[in-house]
Amino acid sequence: MNKDKLKIGIYELTGCAGCALLILDCEMELIDIFNAADIQSFLMAKSDNIDGELDIALVEGSVTTEKEIEELKDIRERAKVVVAFGLCASVGGIQARFGNKEWKENYKKIYGDIEMTHTKSVQSQPIDAYIDVDLYLPGCPVGKEQFLHFFTRALKGAPPEKYPRPVCVTCKYNENDCLLNKGIPCLGPLTADGCGSVCPNHNLPCQGCWGPAEGANPTSEFFLLKEKSFDIEAIKKRMSNYSGTKLAEFFEQFKKESK
Amino acid sequence: MKKISVDHLARVEGSGGISATIDGKIISDVKFSIYEGPRLIEKLTIGRTPEEDVSMSPRICAICSVSHKNAVLRAMENALDVKISQKSYLLRELMHMGEFIESHSLHTFYLALPDFLGFPNAIAMASKYEFEVKIALEMKHFGNHIMKTLNGRYIHGENAVIGGFGKYPYREELLQIKARAIHFMPFVFKTVTLFCGIDYPDCPDSPTLYACCEPGDNKFGFWGDEILLSTGKTFPRDEYKKLTNEFVVSHSYAKHSLYQDKPYSVGALARIVNLGERLKGEAGKMYKKHYSSKWKSNPFFHNAARSLEILYSFERIPELVDEILKLQEDTSRVDYSAENGKGTGLVEAPRGLLIHHHEITEKLVSQVDIITPTAQNAEDIERYCHVAAQKLLDEGKEDQIRDRMDIIVRAFDPCISCSAHMAEVKNAPKNNWKIQLEEVTQKGDSAFIGVGNPTLSDDGAGIKLARKLKNAGIQDVLLESEIEQDEDLWTNDSDRPLIFLDAVDFNEDPGKVTLLPLHLIINNISLSHRLLPTISGLINYKKMKNAYVLGIQPDSLQKGNQLSAPVEKAINEIKQLLTDKGDSKEQ
Repeated sequence: MNKDKLKIGIYELTGCAGCALLILDCEMELIDIFNAADIQSFLMAKSDNIDGELDIALVEGSVTTEKEIEELKDIRERAKVVVAFGLCASVGGIQARFGNKEWKENYKKIYGDIEMTHTKSVQSQPIDAYIDVDLYLPGCPVGKEQFLHFFTRALKGAPPEKYPRPVCVTCKYNENDCLLNKGIPCLGPLTADGCGSVCPNHNLPCQGCWGPAEGANPTSEFFLLKEKSFDIEAIKKRMSNYSGTKLAEFFEQFKKESK
Repeated sequence: MKKISVDHLARVEGSGGISATIDGKIISDVKFSIYEGPRLIEKLTIGRTPEEDVSMSPRICAICSVSHKNAVLRAMENALDVKISQKSYLLRELMHMGEFIESHSLHTFYLALPDFLGFPNAIAMASKYEFEVKIALEMKHFGNHIMKTLNGRYIHGENAVIGGFGKYPYREELLQIKARAIHFMPFVFKTVTLFCGIDYPDCPDSPTLYACCEPGDNKFGFWGDEILLSTGKTFPRDEYKKLTNEFVVSHSYAKHSLYQDKPYSVGALARIVNLGERLKGEAGKMYKKHYSSKWKSNPFFHNAARSLEILYSFERIPELVDEILKLQEDTSRVDYSAENGKGTGLVEAPRGLLIHHHEITEKLVSQVDIITPTAQNAEDIERYCHVAAQKLLDEGKEDQIRDRMDIIVRAFDPCISCSAHMAEVKNAPKNNWKIQLEEVTQKGDSAFIGVGNPTLSDDGAGIKLARKLKNAGIQDVLLESEIEQDEDLWTNDSDRPLIFLDAVDFNEDPGKVTLLPLHLIINNISLSHRLLPTISGLINYKKMKNAYVLGIQPDSLQKGNQLSAPVEKAINEIKQLLTDKGDSKEQ
């Protein structure tokens, strides 16, 4: 392989494998992706994988076993840049909703008392619970455009594009009728952008699957929902579906800023 | 003893591994492990609304997200008594075709074909098979395009909702899908010829039971309200547990399934075996041309079956679009008012039967049970890997075991995220039997059964050992002649391990002791042993998995009632170990 090419590793922890699959879903760009960069490791796509020094590691999935903690630490040591690739790696995924106690109870309900021999499980956590993360690309799964923008910029050494705004911004560009005005509790104001406002485009309320929005003043959005007399508890409960371990922190900021 | 393993199965969706342990001439253990941790998906949606559940539960798996979507929708709509319009019904079928084309073209060309053409991956294959690689990518893209048009996104689309769709696609979009499907037909025929024509390696042949959805009306299809077995038996959707009988194993976060205590297979091959006769049109012609009875007993034919299903899907798409466009305009979404109910939804995911059961209590989800195809295939994956590994070992091709297991696992197109990476071969340590016997006897109060013929010198080792154990005061020791009297041993549901004591010819040094699971011995024709044929009749598969043979390599099987010196030594060693253990227990 060409020495000048960026060395990239794509790793899967626990999740639905959708973010890794999304790379294979770039059908028309796939051969170019493999030619433009030196893809050192990508288990879903190839058998001849090498675990060496990397320029960029894309890590998808959340951490749910002790083995994965070790793997993740090893990836961090080998890679200059680690990207939390997708919602699971960024916030822990839908599987990170339970507190420790609730998780243990539910684990027992499904697996009983059986001792696992291959690896011990831990409650699901985003990767930044164990290592430093350089960049977050959320989404369930990551948007194809988001990935391609990131990838082509990385090839040119340019900084990644961020999406510091909620879904509402793109939804307005798409000229959708606001569902909130129709009394439908849409999570667009609180959810990170990047999906292209796909649900409102289909006349459906946003489910929140890009996780909590950053920047662009979500606090005022939150209070707007309150003003419009939406049930805040129900909204929090729905936000919790895709906010993983970052939910509490997200709602905490509204309390602080309102004081 | 040696262990061969593929720790990280490549070219599969998700992370898992398969391992085989070699003890001398025997494959003593095969395990299909899922390393992905538990996500407790079935508990995550409890207390959520049915709509949130429909959004979240397909997140189990990206590559089967549309199958999960259709399964959860069918379950919810059964539970809440929602009758969707004919247009929504057909659009969902079209969406399902998109997933089959996407998943099957990815699997056959990218994940499986490099195995049969000798490349590490599909991109490397592109240097020689550029046309196939590129067109297959376009085919995959087309499948994704259908899913995006219907469901809003490639992966985890949200447009399909309880009652129908958020928004219907435009007429022009559907006409474009029809035109592209027709445009692909020449390549689709090439695909069938390619995958039905591959000279698949012997697995070796081993028949199994196949299960799939019964589409009804003597049609081929990817969903239904009944489960159909290759024996012809059917179950109504709500009685799915009669088939699946899930249980937890300690080496995997995916539960395993057995039907009547036997492994069964689901997937493309199951559908073609059970329903292939019903294929019409070009798919029907190709089925008649290529299908033969050997497909039934070799999992590599999953790939041939997938190619027939690709053809079926491409033929079905233009029909579907025509049927949809003939229908009157209606509202895309039907409302519902039910607040309680329970329902089961059955669909065929590309890798096999997928079952969703959801219960609603006062507008919120109260119970969820999801049974995925890979979990149902896990037992059969282990069984096929074991027979194949043993055959290679018998032929002296130990170096090929790892790769062969890797390919067998892949043939099932396991979707590990939804069950939960992949092949390993290990050599066991010396005197491994001592460690293993310790492990087994810790599981519960073991029963020992002496087997053999004391008038044929070393063949009497099992019987003589049993008598020694009895005399030493060890509980629950039986002789061959006594086993049928003790019915309790066979019928109770306890986890008591059964340990048969027998002379087994492993072609090893005389006196060598090996502890093996009984099913490995019974399935191994190259071993000579005395185990009664009646044992297979007395014992079910699950119980068999908790039964073992403590085998002693005989020296002589001549007439006579003396044991050879190495065998005598071995049985004394075993007796010593077991009596020491007994003593330490009493203290």
